[in-house]
Amino acid sequence: MEEFDVIIIGGGITGAGTARDCALRGLSVLLIERDDIATGASGRNHGLLHSGARYAVTDQESATECIKENMILKKVARHCVDDTSGLFITLPEDDLGYQETFVKACQKAGIKAEIIDPKEALRLEPSVNPGIIGAVRVPDGCVDPFRLCAANMVDAKIHGARILVHSEVTGLVINGDTVQGVKVLDRTTGEEKEYRGSVVVNAGGIWGHNIAGMAGVNISMFPAKGALLIFAHRVNGMVINRCRKPANADILVPGDTVCIIGTTSTRVPYEECDTVRVTPEEVDLLLTEGAKLAPILGHTRILRGYAGVRPLVSADNDPTGRNISRGIVCLDHESRDGVKGFITITGGKLMTYRLMAQMATDLVCEKLNVKASCSTARDPLPGSEGGGIEKIAKKIWSVPTMAQKASVGRFGSRAAGLDFEEDKGGVVCECEEVTVSEVDAAIENLEVHDMLDLRRRTRVGMGTCQGELCACRAAGRLAKSYGCASKAREDLKAFMRERWKGMYPVAWGETLRESVYTQWIYSEVLGLNERP
Amino acid sequence: MRFDTILIGGGLASLVCGIKLQRAGQKCLIVSAGQNALHFSSGTFGLLGRLPDGTAVSNPLEELGKLPGTHPYSKIGPVKVSEYAAEVKDFFNSCGVRLHGVAAQEGSEVSPNGYRLTPMGVLQPSWLAMEDVTLLPSKDELKWRKALIVNFYGFLDFNASFIAEGLWKIGVESRVETVKIEDVETLRKNPADMRSVGVARLMAKEKNWKDFGGMVRGLLSGEDLVIVPAVFGFGDQVIVEWLREMIPADVMFIGTMPPSVPGIRTQILLKKAFESAGGTFLPGDTALDPLFSGTSVAGIHTANLGSIVLSADRYVLASGNLFGKGLEATPNRVYEPVFGLDTDFPADRSKWCDPDFFALQEFAGFGVLCDDSFKAFKDGRTVDNLYVAGAEVGGCNPLYEGSGAGVSIMTAMSVADSILHGN
Repeated sequence: MEEFDVIIIGGGITGAGTARDCALRGLSVLLIERDDIATGASGRNHGLLHSGARYAVTDQESATECIKENMILKKVARHCVDDTSGLFITLPEDDLGYQETFVKACQKAGIKAEIIDPKEALRLEPSVNPGIIGAVRVPDGCVDPFRLCAANMVDAKIHGARILVHSEVTGLVINGDTVQGVKVLDRTTGEEKEYRGSVVVNAGGIWGHNIAGMAGVNISMFPAKGALLIFAHRVNGMVINRCRKPANADILVPGDTVCIIGTTSTRVPYEECDTVRVTPEEVDLLLTEGAKLAPILGHTRILRGYAGVRPLVSADNDPTGRNISRGIVCLDHESRDGVKGFITITGGKLMTYRLMAQMATDLVCEKLNVKASCSTARDPLPGSEGGGIEKIAKKIWSVPTMAQKASVGRFGSRAAGLDFEEDKGGVVCECEEVTVSEVDAAIENLEVHDMLDLRRRTRVGMGTCQGELCACRAAGRLAKSYGCASKAREDLKAFMRERWKGMYPVAWGETLRESVYTQWIYSEVLGLNERP
Repeated sequence: MRFDTILIGGGLASLVCGIKLQRAGQKCLIVSAGQNALHFSSGTFGLLGRLPDGTAVSNPLEELGKLPGTHPYSKIGPVKVSEYAAEVKDFFNSCGVRLHGVAAQEGSEVSPNGYRLTPMGVLQPSWLAMEDVTLLPSKDELKWRKALIVNFYGFLDFNASFIAEGLWKIGVESRVETVKIEDVETLRKNPADMRSVGVARLMAKEKNWKDFGGMVRGLLSGEDLVIVPAVFGFGDQVIVEWLREMIPADVMFIGTMPPSVPGIRTQILLKKAFESAGGTFLPGDTALDPLFSGTSVAGIHTANLGSIVLSADRYVLASGNLFGKGLEATPNRVYEPVFGLDTDFPADRSKWCDPDFFALQEFAGFGVLCDDSFKAFKDGRTVDNLYVAGAEVGGCNPLYEGSGAGVSIMTAMSVADSILHGN
């Protein structure tokens, strides 16, 4: 049986960050993810690089953590970050008096918050509601969570970690009062295996509730569903927030070629965490509230709607979860519950994943009596090492400039290692400018097991066409890599089903029009709607 | 400007109807906004591939009785549909579009469904095929034993591995090769040009298709079937014939990802047929601001012609479904944007779509409400001189049934008959 110093359960950003930190500190690491990396809340959020301002009034602790991590990520993960800056706007229906409370709280947490003239705000961000009566500028930004997760995984692997995706933990190996390992089902092959680990870290997000249950430990979680909408254009350059107590649909975040409005917050039962869907009521609410931030959203095509479940840890009976601390919860189950060799790291946010990883790794090291210190606040992630974008782009001059920039944007300094031979100059996804060599590199190096994995690694199919054409091209590359066309074809169908899941809640206007076209291609031209 | 009939839409239904009317001595105008479903054609025309309950159809004309009364075929009536179906091949042939189907059963002039190999290697039932596209009589066995699949280097919209696997399932072994044609290589400098139409434009040059044919011939080693992407012959079918002559094996052209070269060719030939019969084709323009006189349309405007009124005795609306912008959808309703006609859709938005992408999708069947002679309804009353044809006609789900082209052709022929023979 294989043995590791530490086994990490969960391939979200927390698990990925912990795997990297542990590996950097010289531990032997196994990470197990039942689906693909960043498929839970890590991949279903705004992609907001919080300045912490949002929490300043209600949760100083989170706000302070956020601004510290914000400044760290802008350095160590710069290829995943877009330093857009952000606005907190006051609308005529909001209390302008809140602005002062807000700015003071920001300053207390160490967040640079500067009141600016609404006219100046409009000049900086022309999409913002022209009726604003107040504006504060803060160092918000955006971050690509898929890229961030992948970069952590890549670095963990470089430092010797083993990563198993599409592998589900079905039970823990427990001896007396000690967790000694995990039982794992390989979802691809159906094979069951056991792995031993001196420490097992539960980083399962909302699903961590069930993992803890396997050790007979109860963590009272609060599954809070958040729904979001992606628009087909990047209407705003800066993050736009409402300057009021956090509420529904009051953040608009730009990201790559799109922008995202969110969120809602509704408690859902555990059983629904795997199947949360966006309801028509949520769509209508997000649209109405979103148009208050940037009126143009009322006429902008919506690409898709999606929802994630926040792994909040319950403190009281707040029915919405808005008042629960977004703070980090790191539990040593030995001191808490008398279960040795088992840690849970949960709560927190995408923003604070690095700190969460550090806290979990510190505890692991303490248990293993390892003295190595944390270096993740200093060491850049793969892709964020030295060299400006222009310099890297020059190394790959033979592809068209847009694709070149897009690749560098996604791969950072690692783009220099891509094979941009002329023979591979084809573009797979025209909306997102993803090249053949980028797709091939992802298939070879980034744990791509199917088309959905490929989308999360490369953005194939994330653009305005939602994959109707490029998905087929990508399936062709996968068929080549698998040496098997039927799996690639089934993958393609699964991919289109998944894309549709986000489109049908917003299917009218251009989105519905595009859907008719996609339906035509997939059923009439390709014949993929056959009945078995 | 005055016409006998003005047709709105430049696709299959409008062209078929327009050609019939023009040839019968009418003076017709077609207002076409731009591309239409033919540009995204599979290279085949479906009449009826499956019934609304999902049952596969092998002989469409025998199953017409099983369709609901609201279906356009039921409105036309099975006898008339059979008559029109028998006329389709000759009609298209007279326009320079050579269609073929699998052999008809004894006592019938009309082909049953055959099978087309899709770019994904799936055998899809279909009725008639354009010149270059092959229809197979059976989905269980083929007459060939070994196939050579040839693609252009770096052309991603034709995936040989899927086709090879589809063939292998029915007992045909295949070998995949790629060729480099110098001109096509230049397309790859701007990868967005590396699409079917880009390749087809270059392959229209004699040197290029001859080089291609020669390379394929050189690659052959004992295969009795050659499969190539359908990127030959924009304006006519001649290159397809020449390649067939050049290559000493059967040549099967398989559709690529859109745009569709056989489909665009068909559109070009039909438009030529309409114009050579004396019809006026107004490209790149959109009908708007109609004038009504009582319960009749008195005229229309277009986006490009400003205040000029175009009027006619009869009007045919064939501007497609949601995709062709013949219909538009907001979060609350589906409307017909030119005349404000009555439309057929569920009031509850959550009923428009099925959460499973590959299931029957209601929205693909949205259309304009019309009576049994395809006269459109507006505010609950028929408009006296306005007919609807093609995908804009409600009452069926052509995508699900595989009846898109069939509904377009049948409704076009029926409307032409009504206009000519006074209905």
